[in-house]
Amino acid sequence: MDPFSSPAPSSGSSGPSPEALMDQVKTQLAQAYAEEFLETVRSKCFAKCITKPGTSLSGSESSCISRCVERYIEATGIIGRALFSSPR
Amino acid sequence: MENSAELQRFLEQEKQKAMVSEMVGKITNVCWDKCITSTPGSKFSSSESTCLTNCAQRYVEMSVLIMKRFQSMQ
Repeated sequence: MDPFSSPAPSSGSSGPSPEALMDQVKTQLAQAYAEEFLETVRSKCFAKCITKPGTSLSGSESSCISRCVERYIEATGIIGRALFSSPR
Repeated sequence: MENSAELQRFLEQEKQKAMVSEMVGKITNVCWDKCITSTPGSKFSSSESTCLTNCAQRYVEMSVLIMKRFQSMQ
């Protein structure tokens, strides 16, 4: 079943069950978050790694991009911990 | 109705979670620019990771200060 259709309603009520609605909302929120995150990573890593666009991606540009993605994900974790797990 | 109260609670929780994600995303965005000035390496230097932590905390403190100033001008 795809995330946007709901299971058959229970107990004869019309419309999707609350559980199905909640699942749909969670799925859509997760997808929206992922898209926004990816767009940010694209923008940051293009800026850092592709300084002079050539006719193809060089090996050093490709490895820079890989490292950049890892570092950005790591940075997101560092920020999360800085804000939510160090009481002052 | 029980369903509606449960849904309201759920939506409120998801809204809070989304706001937290947005804040972390925004702060990571600006602090990356401030702290990661050279080509990304295979790991962060300790000055880079310290900078990121400091940046996040200073950003939040700044936000609080801005709100206070703004409110005192109303």
